[in-house]
Amino acid sequence: MLASSLFRSETKPPEGGSVGLENTKEASHSEEKTLCQDSSDAALLEASEEYAQHQQRYIVATSIVSALAVAISAIFFDRSTTFSILIGGLSGLLYLWLLSRGVGKLGKVSKRVSKSQLLVPVVLVLASSRFPQLDFLPAILGFMLYKPTMILQVLLES
Amino acid sequence: MDSITTAASVVAAGLAVGLGAIGPGIGQGSAAQGAVEGIARQPEAEGKIRGTLLLSFAFMESLTIYGLVVALVLLFANPFAG
Repeated sequence: MLASSLFRSETKPPEGGSVGLENTKEASHSEEKTLCQDSSDAALLEASEEYAQHQQRYIVATSIVSALAVAISAIFFDRSTTFSILIGGLSGLLYLWLLSRGVGKLGKVSKRVSKSQLLVPVVLVLASSRFPQLDFLPAILGFMLYKPTMILQVLLES
Repeated sequence: MDSITTAASVVAAGLAVGLGAIGPGIGQGSAAQGAVEGIARQPEAEGKIRGTLLLSFAFMESLTIYGLVVALVLLFANPFAG
């Protein structure tokens, strides 16, 4: 028994030393962890900034295409058609903004895709049926301008 | 608008929205699932994944919007009302 205890005490490193070694290991681990966390936080921040840039690019491109469509219709068509395309383009922008906000929240705040953006075409169609100043087809065409814009944007990016 | 046209319009509007929302609904669900899994696996690619998700959602949801527009036209601006 005595021999075994002596043997143990010889083989074991001194307790204070092991604690010190563990402390230094823990300190280095925590430093590594904070470094990793900092780098992952930076990567996440960069990714969210990248998405914000995507979002902004789509919205700016859609507004440019809508403005072009309004200008062209102002040259070739009457005021009512131009006004309808303008309202449709603005509602398309609102729809795209709501959709991109919903996609941005997905996985962070909400688990489901938001459906609030679908109210925009509903309100547009109802408004075009109620108000005679708003034509139905130009308004829907103006609303749908976000689709060719996005296709164009993807083609330009690739 | 006679009663048969009204009834047919209401039924058609319901079918347009209901059937038109099935496909995009399934597609959006699977796209969102894939995107969230991708973000969880590779958080640094979140920006690109979300950008692509926004694009695919915009295209999928337009199919629902087509059905919605047809239904609303049938209900509020029916061309067969005569």
